Formats: sequence, structure tokens, C-alpha cells
Amino acid sequence: MESVVAGVVIAVIKILVILGIVLGVGAYLTWVERKVAAHIQRRPGPMVVGWHGLLQPIADGLKLITKEDLFPRYGNKFLYNLAIVLALVPATLVFAVVPFGPEFELFGYRIKPILTDVNVALLLVFGLGSLAVYAIAIAGWASNSKYPLIGSMRKAGIIISYEVAITFAVMGPLILAGTLSTYEIVQRQIEQNLWYIWVQPIAFVVFLFSLLAETGRVPFDIQEAEAELVTGFTVEYGGMKFGLFPLVEWYVEVLSLSAIAVVLFFGGWSPINIPFMGFVDPLFFLGPFSPYVWFLLKVTVLFLFILWLHWTLPRYRIDQITEIAWKVMLPLALINIVLTAIIAPVVWR
Amino acid sequence: MPWAKAEDFVELKERFPELEIVESGNSTSLHIKKESLIELLKELKNRGFKLFIDHSVVDLKDILEKEKDFRNAVKENLIAFPEDRLSRFQAFYILYNVDEKKRVMVKTRTDGTLPTVEKLWFAGKWAERECYDMFGIEYEGHENLVRAFMWDTYPYFPLRKDFPLEGFPEQDLPSLNEVLWGDRLEGTMNYERKHAIVPTLEDLEITEKKRLKKKAQIVLNWGPLHPGTHGTMWFLFDLEGERIVQTDVILGQLHRGVEKLAENEMYNQFLVYTDRMDYLSALCSNQAWVVAIERILGIEEDVPEKAKYIRTMMSELQRINSHLLWLGTYALDLGALTVFLYAFKEREKIMDILEGITGARLTISYPRVGGVRMDLPEGALEVIRAFIKRFPKELSDWERILTRNRIWLRRNKDVGVITPEDAYFYGVTGPVVRGSGIPYDMRKLEPYDAYAEVDFDIPVGDVGDCYDRYLVRIEEMRQSVRIVEQCLSKLEKIPRSAPFFAEVPKEKKLKLTIDGIGLKVPTGEIYSSGENPRGELGFYVFSMGGVKPYRVKVRPPSYYNLSIYPHLMKDRVIADAVTILASIDPVVGETDR
Amino acid sequence: MIKRVTAKPLSWLERALFIDFIKGLSVTIRHAFSRTITTHYPYEKLTPPKRFRGFFAHKVVDGNEPQPAYDEWVERFKIEVIPGKSRCVVCMLCKRACPVPQLFEIEGKKLENGRRVVSVFNMNLMLCTFCGFCVDACPVDCLYQTDIHETASYTRKDSILDLELLEKIGKDWQMRRENEPDRIWIDDSQRDKLWHENKVKLPEAEIRGRHEW
Repeated sequence: MESVVAGVVIAVIKILVILGIVLGVGAYLTWVERKVAAHIQRRPGPMVVGWHGLLQPIADGLKLITKEDLFPRYGNKFLYNLAIVLALVPATLVFAVVPFGPEFELFGYRIKPILTDVNVALLLVFGLGSLAVYAIAIAGWASNSKYPLIGSMRKAGIIISYEVAITFAVMGPLILAGTLSTYEIVQRQIEQNLWYIWVQPIAFVVFLFSLLAETGRVPFDIQEAEAELVTGFTVEYGGMKFGLFPLVEWYVEVLSLSAIAVVLFFGGWSPINIPFMGFVDPLFFLGPFSPYVWFLLKVTVLFLFILWLHWTLPRYRIDQITEIAWKVMLPLALINIVLTAIIAPVVWR
Repeated sequence: MPWAKAEDFVELKERFPELEIVESGNSTSLHIKKESLIELLKELKNRGFKLFIDHSVVDLKDILEKEKDFRNAVKENLIAFPEDRLSRFQAFYILYNVDEKKRVMVKTRTDGTLPTVEKLWFAGKWAERECYDMFGIEYEGHENLVRAFMWDTYPYFPLRKDFPLEGFPEQDLPSLNEVLWGDRLEGTMNYERKHAIVPTLEDLEITEKKRLKKKAQIVLNWGPLHPGTHGTMWFLFDLEGERIVQTDVILGQLHRGVEKLAENEMYNQFLVYTDRMDYLSALCSNQAWVVAIERILGIEEDVPEKAKYIRTMMSELQRINSHLLWLGTYALDLGALTVFLYAFKEREKIMDILEGITGARLTISYPRVGGVRMDLPEGALEVIRAFIKRFPKELSDWERILTRNRIWLRRNKDVGVITPEDAYFYGVTGPVVRGSGIPYDMRKLEPYDAYAEVDFDIPVGDVGDCYDRYLVRIEEMRQSVRIVEQCLSKLEKIPRSAPFFAEVPKEKKLKLTIDGIGLKVPTGEIYSSGENPRGELGFYVFSMGGVKPYRVKVRPPSYYNLSIYPHLMKDRVIADAVTILASIDPVVGETDR
Repeated sequence: MIKRVTAKPLSWLERALFIDFIKGLSVTIRHAFSRTITTHYPYEKLTPPKRFRGFFAHKVVDGNEPQPAYDEWVERFKIEVIPGKSRCVVCMLCKRACPVPQLFEIEGKKLENGRRVVSVFNMNLMLCTFCGFCVDACPVDCLYQTDIHETASYTRKDSILDLELLEKIGKDWQMRRENEPDRIWIDDSQRDKLWHENKVKLPEAEIRGRHEW
């Protein structure tokens, strides 16, 4: 009985911590993005609200919440609102299977810093990722307008194409780890003394491209290509409803997929890896906190890299994107599986 | 002067007995009766006059009514078939021979109908729409004769001489301050509640329906207010999925009747309106207008060297400025947001320079007939030199981001291909035609100001796709830097005390001042053009003496460049709409005027 | 004379190693660690150059009139010269040179001693194009344009400059900037934000101050 109560309490605490981190950090990532973009473009970025604009996300949130809630005539109100829920929930749920660090013991309880260590974690991630397409398709449909419809159709086309590529790209690390559980994958990398990036560079490139495509980042941000479609499927949304879509797409999803990428290719919370030799930890002085810092550091670096790409590259056209998915990314992923099969025994040794 | 000579057309006399060939100092024109106009144009096209430059109409009403004016005009051979006192309009067509590099003007008279040239030149179709809109000329056989700028239920023809400049005040449009806040504005200076009519929503709907017969799934209204259209253009895309089946353009959201205004302004004052036509390259437009007037006055030689070099240098800076805005918005449309701000950084520097020299950043009005408004201030040459030194480096920076980028290549290569034949058919000029490999550049063909004395290349493309147009414009910026450099070294040698405004010899009896009050232009006509960043900006000036022109026709490069857009958009997707539009680079202030 | 620009296709090496992306990324990262170039308007403002074509003003009679033109025009129109008041001689040349002449409303009145003085000089800036033709036309260097450019107002009435305001702006400008050299800009330190990478060195100049309102 006591263990059940303890389990529930621990789970609730984990949920609160993760939700707080995800939504709070998500909002603050808008500030990070604006600052990064600004400095790349030789501007200072937000500077007025708070020190270096640190309170800007709060000001923006207040502004968006207090705005008038507009609704397009002849739209479908139920689906219109459902789209927001459908966008927010799956994107946040992905964090349920993200392991933040190694198991530790607190007050006699062994706690894994992961909400649910299910053994089909990666399947869950991609299942939830596919759900995002519904949110966008519904949002485009319920708005009863031409621009959102075109935008959502584009996005649906991309997600369906890249969902295949990303699944096959993940096959490589899966073969090497021999498990679908995210926690286990990290453990295997530590045991094998190997970040999978060293043997899976092709898979990583495919994964990264698919990540960008699924989250609608440049060079695949065609669903909201503001020059053509103004803002794509969010045209008819206003206020915080409008604010939630980019928050989910650009920040929460990018964050969750970056975390998955770190788990799959960069050994999760492990420090710097020398292939097959061992790990070097320059942050050893942090003691038990070092794994968490490593994990966050890796996610941050990956996120910043994505921002850097975003503010440098132009965007593809929709037919080119799907063409790349089927003609380049998918074959590459398949080749990678074959290569992995060849090198796998060396890694398993 | 690239005008054809009379002897080129002597053998045409046999086929067209009533043909009159008039050669004057400023132009060569062929006068032909309306009935054989199409035959003559077809013949000229076969003889190499392939590029359509301009077509418009002059309303001769005031001249025909005043005997003195009429005799003057006949003396100067301005009017075709003067024995015809009833036909109210005189139409002119300007064509360009690509192989022999010369122009010709064809004139005809009409009382309200003309045969259409749409089979010969598509650009003619758009010019005819404009004439129908402004003069009410009916074109026989025109496929879709709709108004170019005004809405289709508009009852008047504004450029006719019996239409007043202010229009007919018939609609009550009080200021919102008065309606909402109860401000007492009655009796405030220049405040009127009555205005000329404005279109209603029904009018706009009729206008839209008249343009496009729906063939496919959805008609997408792209504009008038849309970030991709670079202004207030209204495109209609008939879509089959994302594929565009047919396109049409509704212009006129920024129509201000510049040509009508020109008839009511003194020659120097019209400069202000050339600023507001192509507002991104105001100085080039200013220069083209000023040069046109100097040519018709015959004082091109009297303009001091210093003024010529200043004008050349400044308009090349303006060309860089305009191309920078193009580059920025082009990259922005294709998703590279950062290049936009990099381009604006350099643009800001040019703006600083222009502001310091002329006092304004956008609407510059700096050149004057006979020179420039003011001498260069202290430090101008140093600042320009510092800018020029650094600029090529920045340019290659942006090229590192874009030119060889695989995404950029895929978005631009083989998109919107304009073949040379298409280019002539649609009358495109400027970087668009140069992208197709035709070295058509007014700075070389008919050098004005100091362009004859500076050394530069004309960049031309290969295939004529968007990528070539991109490369051409980038290279043009490099060439502009070269020109500015040469002008700088020349200006550094000219002493500060040298004159910057023309001293006209007494015997010419010209009142030439910087403010331009009372500048009289003799009876005559001229078509003179300058190379704007967007193409050939031509001014057809028809003067009956006096301080105001009788008719000014602006040949807007963007207008004709845009006419190729529906053709290029056929069977392309929406994403290409921005690419092609940005590579054509129209400015709405100029298409609509 | 004709320069052909052609596209080169990407090589396989460039494609496989993403060299094109890396080149672009290297440019943006270099810019990311460079100094920002913006001016933090409205907390910081640039001083417009002396030639700036902004709000209009009347110079007042202070002994610096252009001679002999001023005396000639005063004699011609029998103008009463009052020190500290507008130099205007009611010649209407500004109105004549203006592309939109109805924006001027100029009247003179006769004083008891038989001489004239300007009594009404209204300019409706709603119609103004700020082209500067009136300034060129002014024969006595009275009407001219200042560096005041923040011209927004809540009502139409505020956009009309009357004689009193024109004189006020004129006095203010004459005090601040009349003696400045005719220089491309006067605020080198402010311009340095944008221009520092071009390393512009201009000869020294004295600066008086900027307009605050």
C-alpha cells in the first residue's frame, strides 16, 4: 500500500516537474530564439521589458491572453478548439519517455528520472509524433479558409513522408541497442562505451532532417511560409490560441525530438565519449548532478544548432521536400540499416 | 541617339502608299492610317523591331480646338495626318530593333477605336488595357478588354482632357476624426468632405469576376494585402491542388494618376511625382526625367561635368540600394530571413549617404533640370569611399549564404524561364531581359550623364530562369560599385568651387533656375529613357510650349515586366509564385502610377 | 563589355559533406559574434544632417540676411523689417514653386506707416511632399527645412504650421544648428554604431545639440 502511495506521489511530482520544465522552458525558448536570431542579424533583440528583455515572454503571454478571441465565420468551433488540444497534448506527452539522468536513491526509494520507462518508448514517440498531423489538418479544415487549408495539407504531406524516414533512421541505433526503451538505450551506450553518433552518422543526418521537417523548422517551414501563405494554418487563429501553435511546434516538439536525438545518438546523460575507450567528464565536480547537466547541455547545443540552421538557410518547396524524403532520406536510412547489420557484432562484442 | 533613320523605311512606301516618314531631332516616326496599322507593325516586327517598348494615346482635344496651337503642332510635325480634324486621339507605338539597336515610333489617328496588337505583342495587350481605362479607346478584337487600374464600373476616362484634375467630387467621405471623435474640422485648411468616388465591395466583386473565369478547384485571392506581393497587388490564382491553372492580376490599388498630374505641373515640379513612382529608386527616376527634359531643351551639353558625375554616382548608389531591397525581400520570400537584415544593414548606410547629401532618404528629388540641387557636402566623398571599399566584401558574404546553397539552387534553377522570344513578346526590360541573355541596357545604348565616360560591363544570363536573374542583379551591384569608384576618383579631382548647375547661354532664352519656376519647353515631343534598376523607364513628353507639358506618358518597366507573370505562373505551384514575382521585382508605385 | 554570368552545378563532394551549408553557417556565426548595429529608437536618436528636409521654419531677422538680395526684396515689396520676426517678404515664390500650391496660405497686411508685413503664413503639412522646392525658391533665405522629423499628431489641425510656430522653430534651429558646417552628418559618434565596420574617418566638427520634443 505504502509503495503504491509513494509511487503515485513520485509520479505526480515527476509530472509536475516535467510539465513545469516543458511549458516554462518552452515559453522562455521564444526569448532564446529571438535573441539568437537577433544577434545573427546584428540586432540586440528584445531589450526593453526587463534586463535584456528577460520578461518579454511574460509580457507576450499577457498580451496574447488578453487579446480578443476571434473566430472565423462558418468555421467549425469544436474542431477549431480541438486542434489546439490535439497539438499540445501529444507534443508534451513525448516527455513521458525522456530519461533525464541515471537512477538514484532518495529516502529509500529508487527513482528513475523518467516518467514511464515503458519498453516500447520509441514506438510511443513516433505514434505521438504522427498524431500531430491531425492537429494541423483539423486546424486547417476548421478555419474554413483557403490559406490554412493549403498550409495544413502541406504539413500533412511532410509529416507522412518524414514519419517513414525517421522510423527507418532510428532502426540503426535500435539494432545496436537491442531495445526500444529509451532508458535502456542510454544504458547500453554507456555499457558499450560508444555514442551511436560515431557509427551512425547517416542515421543522424536523416534523423536531423526529419526532425526539422516534423517540427516545421527551416528549411522545411513551408506550412507557414509567411511569404506565400502568411502564416499557413494559423491564419485564422488569434490571441493565445495562435500563440500555442508555434510554441508547440517550434519549441516543445523541437525540444522533445532533440531530447530523443540526444538519447539515441549522444548517449543521453553520459559525458564526452571516446569511442570504445570510455568517458571523460570535465564536469565531475558537480557530483551527482553532472549527468543532468550533461543531458541539458546536449539538448541545448542541439537546439541552438537548429536555431542556427533556421536563421541561415532558405526553405524548400513542398514537392522538393517530399521528393527528398522518398528519394534521398528513405534510401539512405535503408542503406544505413544494412551497414548497421554489418557493424553490429563489433559493437555488441 | 538610337533612332532609326528615314532611309531605313523608304521601301516600305511601296507597300503602304499613305505612309509618312518624319525624322526630327528627337525621334523618327512613321505616320500610318489606322486601317493598315497592324500590317505595318507586323512588317516592322519581321524587320527586326521585335521588342515592344510602349504604346499610348494623346488626347488632342485642346489642340484641335485652338487654331494657334494646332498650327504650331503641325509645323513641328507632331500630329499625324493633320488634315483629319475630327479624330480626337493620336496613338503611338514605340518599337525597338534588337539587332540594329534602334528605335522607331509609329503614330496613327483615331476617334475612339483601334485594332489590337495582342497577337503581335502581349505587352501591347496590357498597354491597350491602360488606354481603354484612361481614354476609353475600344480595341477591336481584344480578348479581354477590362480596365487596367480603375474598377470596372468606374464611369469616367481620367486622362481625357475634359476630365478635371481633381475629378468630380460626388461622394461624402468625412474624416474619421470628425465622425468618431467629433472634431470640428469644417473650415480647416484644405479639408473637404466631398471626394471623388471610391469603389464599393460590389464594384470590386464585379472587377474580380470579369478577370477570371474559374476553371479549377479554388480561386485564391493573393493580395491586395499580402506579404509576398511586395505592395498592394491583387493576384487571382485558379488552383488545382497547389498547381496554378491560370492567373490574373488586378492592379490599381496605388493608382494616383501621375500622368494626369504631370499635365498640370511645371517640368521641375513633376520630379516630386517621379520620386513616388518607383519609390525604391527615386534618384534613377529623377535622373531619367531630368535627362528627358534636358534633351528636349537641347541643353544636355551645357550641364556641368560635376553635376553629371554626381548624378551618375548617386543613381548608381541608388541602384545598389534598390537591388539590396530586392535581394533582401527575395531571400525573405524564399525563407532566408537573415539575408534580409544583412541587406538592410548596407542599405541603411546608403540611406545615410543619400540623407546627408540630399536631405531625404526615400523621395529624393535631388537632380534638377540643368544640374543638381546642391553641391556635395563635406565628407561625402570620404564616406562613399569607405562604403564602397567594404561593400564587395559584404556582397560576397551573402553570396556564400545563398549562391551555391543547394536549396537556393533548387528553388531558383529552371523556375520561371524566359526565352528571348518571350522577352520581346512581353516587352520586358532591365535585369529580367538581361537574365535571358539580351544585353539591353539604356546606359550603354543611349548613354546619358556620365555613363559614356565610365567603364562597366553589362551582365547577362544564360537560360533566363530566376537563378540567372539573381546572378545578373548581384553582378550589377558589383558593376555599380565600379562606376561609383570611377565617379569618385573623378569628383575628387574636380575642385569644390566648380559649378554644379548649368549656365545656359543667353541666346537660348531659357529661364533655368534651381527651383524651376517658369521653365518653358518649346513645342515638340521626345521619348527618352533611363535605365532604372527595374528596367527601361521611359518618358514620352509631348509639349505644346509653355511651362507645363501637354501629355506625359511614363513607360513603367515594372508594368511590362509584370505582364509576363501570368505566363510564367502557368502550371507552377504557389511556392513558385513568390520566387518568380520577386525575381521580376515589380514596384507597385510604378506599375500603378 | 558583356559579362556572362552562369551557374555552376554543385559537386558531389560539396553535396555529401554539406559544404554549401557550412559556408553559410560560418557567415552567420561570424555575424552573431559581431557588434550590433542598431540604434535603440526611441531611447537613442540620430541627429539628422544639416540638409535634412523635415519640418519647415522661418528664419528671423537677425542681421545675417543674404545681402543685397534681402534689401532689394524689402524695398520692392515695401516690407517693414522687425528684428526677431520672420524675414518673409510675401513674394509668393514658395507658393509658385510648390507642386501642391494649395497647401500655402500667405497673406500680408498693411501697417499704419504704409509698409507691409506678413500676417498669415499657413502651411498644411498633410499635403506637403517635403521636396524642398519652396526652400530653393525663397529669395531671402527665410523659409527652409529643419531637422525635426517626428511629425505625428492626433488631429488635422496640428499638421498646419502657422507663422508663430514657424518663427519659433526657426529661432530654435538658428540657435542650435545654423553655424554648423555643411557636413554629411554631424553626429559621428552616433553614426559609428552602423559605420564602425567601414572605418570612416571624417575631419573634426563642432556639435551643438539636438532638438528634444
